[in-house]
Amino acid sequence: MIQLTQETKSGWWVVGVQGRADAEAADELEGALRAALEAHPKVAADLAKLDYISSAGLRAVIQAARAAQARNAEFAVCSLSAPVKKVFDMSGMHHILRIHGELPC
Amino acid sequence: MLTMLEEVVLLAVDEKTGQLRSTREFGTAYALVGAVFFDLALLRKIDTDTESIHIIDTAPTGNATLDHVLSQMAQRPNLTTVRAWIEELFLQRADLEGEALSSLIGQGILRHEVSKLLWIIDVERFPMVNNRHQQHVKLRLAHAILTDDIPDTRDIMLVSIAERCGLLNYVLSSAELANRRERIEMLCNLETISRKVTDAILNLDNSLRQSMTKVV
Repeated sequence: MIQLTQETKSGWWVVGVQGRADAEAADELEGALRAALEAHPKVAADLAKLDYISSAGLRAVIQAARAAQARNAEFAVCSLSAPVKKVFDMSGMHHILRIHGELPC
Repeated sequence: MLTMLEEVVLLAVDEKTGQLRSTREFGTAYALVGAVFFDLALLRKIDTDTESIHIIDTAPTGNATLDHVLSQMAQRPNLTTVRAWIEELFLQRADLEGEALSSLIGQGILRHEVSKLLWIIDVERFPMVNNRHQQHVKLRLAHAILTDDIPDTRDIMLVSIAERCGLLNYVLSSAELANRRERIEMLCNLETISRKVTDAILNLDNSLRQSMTKVV
């Protein structure tokens, strides 16, 4: 189960992600991030309230980063919760993503 | 669209001779199991995290190999780690390569030929009916490795499996691979299944080394 919020902060369109980003939620997460990237030049995913991310969730974030690159848009992830940061660190996501400690990005 | 397993096996076919390249036999077997997991993950049948593997949906995919593995997984709910499943399927020696070859022949991409070596030994070959499918796989791999673009997740999986099978040498030159070694490792590390395949191969290598030491 995932809950998504959208707001503007310091010139960034921020997609707040809460709950679990797993196979069941991956399409919804990817769709929301892609839609935001189509409408805004600077998009951040706020993962402070994301408790869990699986491989499918990570792939959704990678696909969003890929879409941002194709559109020449800025995309960043921010405020990773401890369990999510562990997964991002293990996967080396910092090589392909801008990862920030806090909002605003 | 070909499955990940079919793409990797197709990559292993020598386009000139039709023979199968088998560079790291045990490693390849593990990596092919990894390819099946990637196929199931792309179809949203399973999901993984740093520790475990979960079945999301047991409805058949329509692919006999994938459905066989999915059915086995559904019958063993106590086996929950990616690495345990990689080793379990490896031990069962499911003929993943043979099933993928049959499927590629059935789709008209390869044909099957048997010839005699010294009038006695059967030699199997799988010449390509049309090499555009293999070229497409090679182009995707080359683009994922040689550029700094973020690849499609399917191509990230493909790089990691081809690397574990030792098949990248047939796509890029040694110099290109050496220059992009960091990029290849980075792409392989992005996927949990790929990391677990590597763990399983290292574990097997260590076990074999220990066995050899005892024998000596």
